Amino acid sequence: MNSIRLLPRRIYAFIARDFRLFVSYRMQFFLRILSILTVVTTLFFISKIFAGFTDPRYSQWRDPLASWLTGLAVLNYFMTGFSSLANSIRQEQVQGTLESVLLTPINLPTIIVASSAWDFLETTFFSFLYLFFGRVFFNVHYRGSFFLALVFLLLTTLVLASLGILSASFAMVFKRGDPFGMFLGAGSALFSGVFFPTQLLRDYAGPKLGNVSLILPATYGLDGIRQVLIEGHGLMQVKDPLITLLIFLVLLLPFSLWVFGRAVRRAKREGSLIQY
Amino acid sequence: MRAFFRRPVKQPVEALRNVSFDVYSGEIFGLIGRNGAGKTTLTKIVATLVQPTEGTVTVRGYDSVRNDEHVRREIGLAGAEERSFYWRLTAEQNLLFFARLHGLRDRVANRRIQELFARLELEDAAHRRFGELSTGNKQRLAVARSMLASPAVLLLDEPTRSLDPLAAARMREMIQALAQQDPPVTILFTSHNLAEVETLCARVAIISRGQIRAIDAPARLRNFSSGSELIHLTVSGIDADQARQVLGSREDFAVATTDRDAIRISFTRQSEDDQLDDVLRALHRRGARVLDVDAERSTLFDVLERYEKDDALLP
Repeated sequence: MNSIRLLPRRIYAFIARDFRLFVSYRMQFFLRILSILTVVTTLFFISKIFAGFTDPRYSQWRDPLASWLTGLAVLNYFMTGFSSLANSIRQEQVQGTLESVLLTPINLPTIIVASSAWDFLETTFFSFLYLFFGRVFFNVHYRGSFFLALVFLLLTTLVLASLGILSASFAMVFKRGDPFGMFLGAGSALFSGVFFPTQLLRDYAGPKLGNVSLILPATYGLDGIRQVLIEGHGLMQVKDPLITLLIFLVLLLPFSLWVFGRAVRRAKREGSLIQY
Repeated sequence: MRAFFRRPVKQPVEALRNVSFDVYSGEIFGLIGRNGAGKTTLTKIVATLVQPTEGTVTVRGYDSVRNDEHVRREIGLAGAEERSFYWRLTAEQNLLFFARLHGLRDRVANRRIQELFARLELEDAAHRRFGELSTGNKQRLAVARSMLASPAVLLLDEPTRSLDPLAAARMREMIQALAQQDPPVTILFTSHNLAEVETLCARVAIISRGQIRAIDAPARLRNFSSGSELIHLTVSGIDADQARQVLGSREDFAVATTDRDAIRISFTRQSEDDQLDDVLRALHRRGARVLDVDAERSTLFDVLERYEKDDALLP
């Protein structure tokens, strides 16, 4: 009960700490904004090559720039959900501060939520920039319910965060060589439809490889968000990806929390909390 | 390839074995031993950072594994590890972060931080980045952090290691004051400075190869190691022959003339026996004046060395 009452203060502590660390590297901040603008501009000119040539079967891809920008913005968010906790734990291990944090009376769920909080704020800002630059400089329009898109974003992020907790468990015990990171990091960009429709993969590479996209939560998240923002679909039309994501969440979240608890216990038994 | 990917089987290291002791409220309890003896592991187990494979640790009634969150509310640990702070944050920002994790409101936290900066003479370092602080100030900041939430139990791992002699003396005064305040703070203290341990600690545990070899008050440990002490008296007003007459024919007395018109009498006595009193009275009666009394006693170093030698004989 006490932990729940103190949760906002502790999340704020992590956000304030990470913000201060972030602004201590000001140059990095401006370079990142510049790189996003460069990517959006490059994609705009590439999209011009495809003007009028898009296959009518892929309704979400009539304006490739809109699809790429939603894909990149959302992928950015998903990857944060997935990698934030593992990165933050690894960083604390390398810095040697993990023991100091674990010495305070905070519980594991608090660490999981709080240590990723700043990453999500930062990613929200940079993901928004993709859409903002597209809208302001290249006239990209979005329609449909932003609230429904947000529900998809939140749900997919939670599913990927569950996988991120599993990834962090690897970082806690094995320190390096996390299989989830390799599979989801490289796999999501290729298989979940960030840069091209997943149907294309199935058409060209056959059903075996094409079906890989079906086991990636990001596929359903991206599809749902694009259906809402680009095609203007409502709740009933996007219920299939929504339900799939809910099933992923119900299965993965409790399992990953259990694994993380075991990983911390094992690291404590081995006395390897600050090793990396 | 198989050899490359094969995971080496790590043999578990038994860091501590059959360790059992109590530390009483308000006590300063010392833990001494050589590097790798198990002091830091023991401290980390109490701090819930390492879980014991067997046995239990209880801090103010809370089990360190089952009620770890409660235990962490009761303790503060100042370790010897420098890399436990955020190097790009200032001393104050670092403490504020940890104070918030302890659940302190910002106003309370800021007041407490200023109080600790004043107490540990860190005011000048408050707005400097941790990475720019001197080793001594980093050490003091670690102690300040351990005291943020005013814990009932402090675990101090070599708290004076990098301090200058004056700062070290002030740190010792502060530790003593903490144990005497109301309510008192219980302190588990490790140090390689044995004179410091002797001065501060009510009881000391000697740990060697993961086992507690002895626990007692420093004076009793010394006596246990060697019950005797060598006394040197520098005396004027009598010559060597007169001194020998006073002391009788005992063979364990040595009398020598010093270069400043005085004589030096040396003898061995058992700690706290009456022999020194008897000799001083006899010399007085003869009109001698005692210029200096010096005792060579065994120290905690001798005790530690003795246990180390004993352990070296073990298989």
